[in-house]
Amino acid sequence: MATETPKKQLQSPRKPKQSLNNLKVQSSPLSISLSPQTPQSLIPPQAPPRRSLRRTSLHFSSTPIEDSIEYEKSDPKTPRKAVEEIGKISGQSRKGQSHEERVKTPKTPKIPKRKRNGENRKTAKLGILGEGMVEAEVTFSSVTPEVLETKKRKRGEDKTVIPRAMATRSSKKKEKKRVYYKKVVYDEGEFDVGDDVYVKRREDASSDDEVPEMEECRVCFRAGRSVMIECDDCLGGFHLKCLKPPLKEVPEGDWVCGFCQAQKLGKYVEFPEPPEGKKRVRTLREKLLASDLWAARIESLWKEVDGSFWFRGRWYMIPEETACGRQPHNLRRELYRTNDCADIEMESIIRHCNVMSPKEYAKANDEGDDVFLCEYEYDIHWHSFKRIAEIDNDEADDEHADSDEDWNSSKEPDSGTDEDMEYEEESTRNAQARLSTAHLAANSRKGHFFGLQKIGTKKIPEHVRCHKQTVLERAKATLLLATLPKSLPCRNKEMEEIMAFVKGAICDDRCLGRCLYIHGVPGTGKTMSVLAVMRNLKSEVDAGSIRPYCFVEVNGLKLASPENIYRVIYEALTGHRVSWKKALQLLNERFSDGKKIGKEDDRPCILLIDELDLLVTRNQSVLYNILDWPTKPHSKLIVIGIANTMDLPEKLLPRISSRMGIQRLCFGPYNYQQLQEIISSRLKGIDAFEKQAVEFASRKVAAISGDARRALEICRRAADIADYRIKKQISTVNSSTGKDIVTMAEVDAAIQEMFQAPHVQVMKSCSKLSKIFLTAMVYELYKTGMGETTFEKLAMTISCLCTSNGEAFPGWDTILKVGCKLGECRIILCEPGDRHRLQKLQLNFPSDDVAFALKDTKDLPWLAKYL
Amino acid sequence: MPAIADRNSSSFKEIVAAIKSDKSGDIAGSNGCCIPQKRRLRSDAAAARESPVSTPMKLKSPRRRLNSSPNSPANGIKEDFSEKPVKKNWNPRDVEHMRAVKEALHVSTAPSTIVCREDEQKRVLEFCKACIEQEKAGSLYACGCPGTGKSLSMDKVKQQVIDWATKEDLQPLEVLALNCTSLANTSEIFSKILGKHQPRKKTMGSTSPLQHLQKLYSNNQARAGSKMMLIIADELDYLITKDRAVLHDLFMLTTFPFSRCILIGIANSIDLADRFLPRLQSLNCKPMVVTFRAYSKDQILSILQERLLVLPYIVFQQQALELCARKVAAASGDMRKALCVCRSAMEILEAELRESASNLSLASVEEFISQQTAPALEIFQSEENNTVRIDHMALALSKTFRSPIVDTIQSLPQHQQIILCSAVKFFRGGKKDSTVGELNKSYIDICKSAMIPPVGILEFSSMCRVLNDQGLFKLGQSRDDKSKRVTLKVDEADISFALQGVRFFRNCLQ
Repeated sequence: MATETPKKQLQSPRKPKQSLNNLKVQSSPLSISLSPQTPQSLIPPQAPPRRSLRRTSLHFSSTPIEDSIEYEKSDPKTPRKAVEEIGKISGQSRKGQSHEERVKTPKTPKIPKRKRNGENRKTAKLGILGEGMVEAEVTFSSVTPEVLETKKRKRGEDKTVIPRAMATRSSKKKEKKRVYYKKVVYDEGEFDVGDDVYVKRREDASSDDEVPEMEECRVCFRAGRSVMIECDDCLGGFHLKCLKPPLKEVPEGDWVCGFCQAQKLGKYVEFPEPPEGKKRVRTLREKLLASDLWAARIESLWKEVDGSFWFRGRWYMIPEETACGRQPHNLRRELYRTNDCADIEMESIIRHCNVMSPKEYAKANDEGDDVFLCEYEYDIHWHSFKRIAEIDNDEADDEHADSDEDWNSSKEPDSGTDEDMEYEEESTRNAQARLSTAHLAANSRKGHFFGLQKIGTKKIPEHVRCHKQTVLERAKATLLLATLPKSLPCRNKEMEEIMAFVKGAICDDRCLGRCLYIHGVPGTGKTMSVLAVMRNLKSEVDAGSIRPYCFVEVNGLKLASPENIYRVIYEALTGHRVSWKKALQLLNERFSDGKKIGKEDDRPCILLIDELDLLVTRNQSVLYNILDWPTKPHSKLIVIGIANTMDLPEKLLPRISSRMGIQRLCFGPYNYQQLQEIISSRLKGIDAFEKQAVEFASRKVAAISGDARRALEICRRAADIADYRIKKQISTVNSSTGKDIVTMAEVDAAIQEMFQAPHVQVMKSCSKLSKIFLTAMVYELYKTGMGETTFEKLAMTISCLCTSNGEAFPGWDTILKVGCKLGECRIILCEPGDRHRLQKLQLNFPSDDVAFALKDTKDLPWLAKYL
Repeated sequence: MPAIADRNSSSFKEIVAAIKSDKSGDIAGSNGCCIPQKRRLRSDAAAARESPVSTPMKLKSPRRRLNSSPNSPANGIKEDFSEKPVKKNWNPRDVEHMRAVKEALHVSTAPSTIVCREDEQKRVLEFCKACIEQEKAGSLYACGCPGTGKSLSMDKVKQQVIDWATKEDLQPLEVLALNCTSLANTSEIFSKILGKHQPRKKTMGSTSPLQHLQKLYSNNQARAGSKMMLIIADELDYLITKDRAVLHDLFMLTTFPFSRCILIGIANSIDLADRFLPRLQSLNCKPMVVTFRAYSKDQILSILQERLLVLPYIVFQQQALELCARKVAAASGDMRKALCVCRSAMEILEAELRESASNLSLASVEEFISQQTAPALEIFQSEENNTVRIDHMALALSKTFRSPIVDTIQSLPQHQQIILCSAVKFFRGGKKDSTVGELNKSYIDICKSAMIPPVGILEFSSMCRVLNDQGLFKLGQSRDDKSKRVTLKVDEADISFALQGVRFFRNCLQ
């Protein structure tokens, strides 16, 4: 139970070893009560029975406090004091036990120390305990005093949480929602947001079950109650009396055990073997540092719909797991906080541990064995380290709080989007099923993220929707381009082909470089299909059936210049920002010369280039380089290019198209059945559209472009129009007689809006005089058969039209002004107005458009005659 | 042919080794039969040297000599058939087997010997040797279509030159092989050359690397210490700038009195040296030109066979390979394409097997009673399906070389088809091109005649852009949508063929 404080250099030996020994006094009674309970608490059986068990046990269990206590910092005390106190403490804890059969977590050694602090504060506060909460509180207050009060002082925010959580709690049974907590009592341990815990690494590791309560002496393999000393090098514990020569008292300064000294001198060391029949048991700390366990920081806690408790954990990493390995300056107990989070079931938590900043660590003297130092944050993608300064820490906390809020709002949608919720649950359950087959613990969902995938546009945050959504609103929401559909119909064949291509390329060991060119008109699901395939692959990687790969996505349109693609690729692969020239050189080294630097570099790399045609430079060297790499022996590069142009390879230099290979995939425009299927698959379960309306929209789009984006937009707009109509009806008539369903009429209106060019709208809505002007122009052009006319002639025609149809002739100046206005709108093309009479005029749009727009003008019915 | 000797001495299984030597002999034979053809084609006198391939020919058994006569390719094929049972059966269901074949056929796997390019290699090698022996500078320019083994051969030559230099105990030479596309700046090549010459020295700010090199090569003192330098510049035409200075300076480096660099440039265009370096001719130091011809069908065939030799089993039917070779040779003679086609043919077979396996399992579930016949059937099928047959190859080739225009046109949305139709009608009068606005009028006419509401002009021009992307139209550049020039890029007959199924279009086009 030693802590390696920075202070340690001076006085390490005087450390918790002693307190450990002290604790051993009470360990014997505890272990008795422990033995029957541990299997339940540590081996995860099927979730449901276990949970009920837990809940019932909560009624009389008092322990939860223990774990959370760890959180607070006890004042640095001299070990001697601790010794004195021990008797008292152990007596107390025994008393507690007799009162209520308390189940001891493996933590026991630490309890006494905590009690010292908590002794005189007798208020017990509990986290969310569920049904058993009230009773639990009652039972506790009598016996288990401690800590929570101190905690209260420290983290005021806790107070506010409880009522809210309890409120949600009451109605929880029916609701399909995640409920978020700030504090959860689970398995007799109380877990707070912000706590650090040990997490099981494997489900089947039996060694996780037998957690030693305290460290054994490395020589005699007994715990015993005598004073132990910790080696500063191997962290092993030794009884003072077992050492050769035995030590009388803990020495000042660093102390290194004889084994380590011998090893340092290069001698072969034989470690004492444990006696027959006794296995050497490792403490959790040892396991963690041997990377048999994980440590994580709880970022948020919640209860799933199915009743299981989960938390979002931010992983800690031991120095060995980082890219650069253990460095000489790393302390033995040093951990790195990562930026990697995962959703973990609470089942896999073993117990608390204590990860501290250097400052806290320096102060910590007798926090027990599970104390670690964390000074840096490690970026798992870019393998960079960042110091977690105190200020940063606060900021980060705020940030996390914020993100939690976001999470809540987006993941707890109102009942209207229950279905989405279900879908998400389904996917997680699938993930679980998969995992159980792969014999991985629940926490192996590391790196799984449920993000928003983009198809075309960004999603608008949903926080506005606080009222119950109507059918139409739900329909509109699902038809948004940004909404990720649950299924991607009509592109199965192409997706299979892409899948086969990528798998064929990355699955074998050599990983031969290849290139695939995907082309098709806009809105036919090219990018979406590739991304869907990559998502599937990602899940397969998570399940362990495919080796990991890197995936780099570049959009040609987002590059400032084609050459910048090198920079973007290099940044995506390594995280370093360099100039494109440097990046080109480095990438060449990597792909052409086969120079691999990190271990990550050996992974196959899939490069998706959207809008490939934008990378065509004058001498096409960018494309040449990118397409040349896959032909190199050790590149392991797979290039997928997407563009609209069908004959792009043929337009390129022959040497480039030769390197491009012959793998092509064509995404044809959708026909109307496919569009219909796409729309109706999105609208599944929402009865908002007439069937014919959907068919009409899809037929119309299929006849012109076959662009799915457009079809979705039309439907969404139609729903908008219908929504508007219904709302107006309700407000005026006050009775919802009209069906709230999208009909042909609305779809037609939406199509009119979309396909009717804006100039027709402008012409329809322009002034009476402008209409006459345009009509006269069409008439004049028709009469003369010329492409253009002069203002003089046109004015003559206008005056003719006006007089013969009983309109007042407005005068030349006005007509000139009208002409210039129309010219500004680019309805007509005209020379500057100062040419006056000789001004030449031309229609910018076909005369049919003008005719169509002005045909049925209400106030000027006679216009139709001249069109 | 040292490589063949290597192969024979390799510690393979006896039988395999025997086959291999057989096979390589066979290839040598086919080389033998293609070389005369080359000689006929080549105007160059250098090719008239004795071919190195002829030596193994002399050692051949009589039967083999019969085959090696140029006029009996069919015999050779037949004989390959008779050899077939000796080789292990290839099992396409075996992942390992499949992987091995794919690896052997991948572009990045460099074969141990480069067949069919011995001649060119030899010329380059002789050139380099001569230069090194006389310690004089020289330049060589290798040209040829893409995928004809230029870079690969140069790589081999580079290795051979280095080996030769060490064997002859000459001063070791510096080698700089670079691809000009990977240069961020064209003049960077000089700093790279200089870096090779003086790896430690930093160039001074006052003089550019080029000036430094020029000084170095025109100075007699420098000569004593410096080594010969072999520069291989791939994709040389990327060095062409507007004033052609870089390319010119690069070649001029070899003309300096004390220059010690051998420059080998590689590019596609045949006349790069003549077009861009006219001054070199006047200085009488025109680079020697080595042309890499597009591969003929026999060459492609023998290269494919050579690559497949590494494998201890038969993968391709002989006719399939020949078909591939013929088709590719006729189209471009691009070896990369041939390899890709072979791979895609294999993938077709793979997919077919997968399908048949699933069918088979289905069938076996259905016909549970007739269990005895099922395995027999499977065995029969596996024997039948174990090689890539000619039909697979034909399918792969058609996927590669077929023009998908008809399919594309048929899958277009109706309005785009109408546009095509109107374009055909419009251009019938002998007009070559027109503007989008004009075409729109013709389109509206057709729409009106068929009572179809036409789309607006903006929509129309965006559809024209789509057709441009599909390669059916060619749109000119213009600021204004309406005045863009439109030309039809596909044949009128293609369009009328594709659209003849619809009566409306048929009427329209008549």
